[in-house]
Amino acid sequence: MKLDSKVPSGPIEKSWDKHRFELKLVNPANKRKFKVLVVGTGLAGASAAATMAELGYQVETFCVQDSARRAHSIAAQGGVNAAKNYPNDGDSIWRLFYDTVKGGDFRAREQNVYRLAQVSNNIIDQCVAQGVPFAREYGGTLSNRSFGGAQVSRTFYARGQTGQQLLLGAYSSLMRQVGLGTVKLHTRREMLDVVVVDGQARGIVCRNLVTGESETYWGDAVVLATGGYGNVYYLSTNANGSNVTATWRAHKRGAAFANPCYTQIHPTCVPVTGEYQSKLTLMSESLRNDGRVWVPKKKADPRNPQDIPEEDRDYYLERKYPAFGNLVPRDIASRAAKQMIDEDRGVGSTGLSVYLDFKDAIARIGEPKVREKYGNLFDMYHHITAENPYERPMRIYPAVHYTMGGLWVDYNLMTTIPGLFCLGEANFSDHGANRLGASALMQGLADGYFVLPYTIGGYFAGTKLAKVTTGHDAFKEAVSSVNARTQRLLKTGGKTSPSALHRKLGHIMWDNVGMGRTAKSLNTALSEIPALREEFWKSVAVTGSGEEFNQTLERAGRVADFLEFGELLAKDALTREESCGGHFREEHQTPDGEAKRDDDKFCHVAAWEYKGEGKPSERHVETLTFDNVHIAQRNYA
Amino acid sequence: MEQIMDNKLMNLTLKIWRQKDAAAEGELKSYALTGVSPDMSFLEMLDVLNEQLVAKGDDAVAFDHDCREGICGMCSLMIDGQAHGPEKAVTTCQLHMRQYKDGDTITIEPFRAKAFPVVRDLCVDRSAFDRIQQAGGFCSVNTGNAVDANSMLISHDTAEKSMDAAACIGCGACVAACPNASAMLFVGAKVSQYALLPQGQPEREKRALAMRAAMDAEGFGHCTNEYECEAACPKEIKISNIARLNREYFRATLISE
Amino acid sequence: MEANENCASKCCGRLFEFLDSSIGKKFMVAAAGLLLVGFLVTHLAGNLFLYVGDGAFNHYAEALEHNPLLPLAEGGLIFLFLVHILLSARATYLNRKARPVAYESYKGKGARTPGSRTMALTGSLILLFIIIHVATFKFDVGGLKGQTPGTEESLYAHVITWFSNPLYAAFYILAVGGVGLHLSHGVQSAMQTFGVNHPRYTPLIRKAGLALAGLIFLGFVSFPVYFGFLQKCLSCSTGAH
Repeated sequence: MKLDSKVPSGPIEKSWDKHRFELKLVNPANKRKFKVLVVGTGLAGASAAATMAELGYQVETFCVQDSARRAHSIAAQGGVNAAKNYPNDGDSIWRLFYDTVKGGDFRAREQNVYRLAQVSNNIIDQCVAQGVPFAREYGGTLSNRSFGGAQVSRTFYARGQTGQQLLLGAYSSLMRQVGLGTVKLHTRREMLDVVVVDGQARGIVCRNLVTGESETYWGDAVVLATGGYGNVYYLSTNANGSNVTATWRAHKRGAAFANPCYTQIHPTCVPVTGEYQSKLTLMSESLRNDGRVWVPKKKADPRNPQDIPEEDRDYYLERKYPAFGNLVPRDIASRAAKQMIDEDRGVGSTGLSVYLDFKDAIARIGEPKVREKYGNLFDMYHHITAENPYERPMRIYPAVHYTMGGLWVDYNLMTTIPGLFCLGEANFSDHGANRLGASALMQGLADGYFVLPYTIGGYFAGTKLAKVTTGHDAFKEAVSSVNARTQRLLKTGGKTSPSALHRKLGHIMWDNVGMGRTAKSLNTALSEIPALREEFWKSVAVTGSGEEFNQTLERAGRVADFLEFGELLAKDALTREESCGGHFREEHQTPDGEAKRDDDKFCHVAAWEYKGEGKPSERHVETLTFDNVHIAQRNYA
Repeated sequence: MEQIMDNKLMNLTLKIWRQKDAAAEGELKSYALTGVSPDMSFLEMLDVLNEQLVAKGDDAVAFDHDCREGICGMCSLMIDGQAHGPEKAVTTCQLHMRQYKDGDTITIEPFRAKAFPVVRDLCVDRSAFDRIQQAGGFCSVNTGNAVDANSMLISHDTAEKSMDAAACIGCGACVAACPNASAMLFVGAKVSQYALLPQGQPEREKRALAMRAAMDAEGFGHCTNEYECEAACPKEIKISNIARLNREYFRATLISE
Repeated sequence: MEANENCASKCCGRLFEFLDSSIGKKFMVAAAGLLLVGFLVTHLAGNLFLYVGDGAFNHYAEALEHNPLLPLAEGGLIFLFLVHILLSARATYLNRKARPVAYESYKGKGARTPGSRTMALTGSLILLFIIIHVATFKFDVGGLKGQTPGTEESLYAHVITWFSNPLYAAFYILAVGGVGLHLSHGVQSAMQTFGVNHPRYTPLIRKAGLALAGLIFLGFVSFPVYFGFLQKCLSCSTGAH
């Protein structure tokens, strides 16, 4: 396998223009001859499908939910970045580019990131034109806020529902195309295989989740926009249905999987209350602007937090990072919390949380002001936990939130399978080892509205595509392998529910491949995951049949894929013997506890090639060069 | 102290609608569930039931859910005759079992409407909403056509009002709660979002006419101003949006050519 | 000519589409309903002549009966009733069809009012009452006219006679109660249907609707109470003295 990034040469400011010029064009009259299958209808999938249909391509979309409007992009709260510089505070495309490369801890492609920053402005224009009700100033112009520690105000937002509004914008454009007959919508369909004909992706196999039927669809290209794999940890802030299945099946058909060990853990989530917990809820990290994080100095202090005097409290972030205090970046805040809990100083009935205290903020600016700033978050917390955060400190704990790794793609967003494209969180491209706040929405929409619609034309114009129908042998083979797997799941005759096994995997992943990773913990994971996988195939209980609506079967299939994928994640983490961004190897840290990169050995993308059942995957390397942003160590102490 | 009292586990009787598929007859079946923690969410309580059912070799209860944080609009359920359960401004996934007490019987049914046929058990098909949206719930602007975002000034209050309407998550609780299974709150919210904004003006009349027609074609009932939709809406969409839809439709009927 | 026909058919098409639409139907029901409320108010005002005395009331009744525009008004009223009843009945029928499988339990979240819950019931009751009311008062079904000696031709006496019948009085009170309940929802509901909803005015409209419903109820209910009951008691007690 050869990784050719196809990154244009020359000055970075011109690279996207130059590349677009060099891409061959498809004659407008010929576009309708090409059919594109888009799997996933989140920000990236919906925007790509709508835009390609507008250009004249035939498009079919697929999603597991009952409507294209429900993808997990909808849950993004904070906002979307763009380099508009409306606030006149010194922002520019270059600065957004620079911040993103640096924030990603120098593990992303410079040219990709530059392009992202360039098109960010078009995204805002497009969304406003669609009728997305962004927040406005009294004069009628768009509002901006500073987000996630950025020094400029470049984040556009629609209350705490920016992801929802952007997705509904993309969805409305998609629905318009469905109404015009240019897009066929397939809901409650789960993609279970990519069909590769003569080395090109030419179709997919889906399970119709209502009837259970294995359906085949052919296309001239396949686009995966199926989101991240955070649920490999069982508990995450992801939607319950988020899964790795589509990208994992594509990986098994030849798409390289890049940097799976890059996961982002968000420090301010509502903590776990019990084994039954199915989901962790994120609270905006803006809470750390006024809240102070602490744990009792004494282990297992039984007192109510309000009764613990100042001298018995350890405001550990302020102690360890006096310059940034409670505002250290996400990964540092998360790791510090884990350290406290590992020292048995965690609080709450499970011991799996730390306090976030607003006592001083309430004393300083008064309860009404605090309510005005954080009222909705406090209400949400109160609702979930039945504890009043105005009276008693909040309890928070980190949770897996976003995954930077994904299918390897070149500058055209094409995977190592020709004709198979990958967009949004599902690909690995733009965030390096760590994503900045309000950049996920930007990337999903950039890929879908402004990148793929150009690059896919270049692929069509430059590729010979033979006529293919679903009668082709490759489709038959894919269907029979999908059906065989379904039958295998149904016939284990075990007694353990798929969720229970998923929970076990989650524990292994969180304990060993979570916030702080060591060679030892990773090796533990690498021996425990295959054992659990074996247990899964012996003991999983899947009731009902394959020919009906069967959510237990759906879940089991996804867990089976997580059980394979988790091993690759751990392996990638073990091989990357450095710390960078969201990947923290405890062996590699500065004296201040900061991630310590090894740029000599690891300034590259690691892309894994699947070599077959039971065979070790092969690690390929795409070297990263930094010609425009000076490579440096992060330091927040 | 408070916490210890709260953590008392509960035993519940669940009466759940079971229906194999759209064509099959359905019925309410009773299940006894023990050891329910008050900290569980309602859907986690159903997860626990399902894990027990699957371990026993029975079919799990099918129910729609995804984000479990009240924004995706996937979860539904008519709980004791109330869409999304007894609380105000909350989706089922955010309802917690501390609302209930030991020994309670809870009846769980799917959202019921002709336009929302049952797929299985508690899952219904809400694609009617997608089709209404396809009829006119958009601004026809192709990617790349947009002008600079600040070239269009929109007053703060207008943007906020539009956002109030846009907050709809498309869950269908309005239809489920309406005694007539009317979709006016959903359609009203969508028409309002665009009618309020300058971006929506070019297609304003066309949209109101087309979305009304699509709504009626799906077989939703008539709005008789009972306002149960507003009371059930987890995002507190206001009935003033229905009034606006009435105005928009009347206006469009009068002035469109 | 052709252009004109096209124009007419376009207009008719749009009108028909409007009338057939869920919103249009409700619009027409609301419009007819409010006009009927107008009729009720004038009817009540006319009936108040009963309190002035038999001469005044009979004079008013005669004037009304001899007004050449009366058939037109009656026709208009019948038209309003038909629009109101037929379109509501069709909407109700379609609403039932919109939920073919009923909930085992339906509780709602308390937004419905007694008035809104019972619109079909009170509407049917009112219809029944109108039939009986028109039959007895306009067409003298039951043949009460002239039974009381010396009062032939007097509508006033006719009214008194009917209200003295406890069964009729009770039915009248029940029906007028139905009207009140119907209007307690109907007036503000009609305004919402017309698209009148404003944070400042809607609470006022709701209160005004309730007040109007209350006044109409009290106005009409006063007749059987006074003429069928109070007046007699008064005359009994004065007679005893």
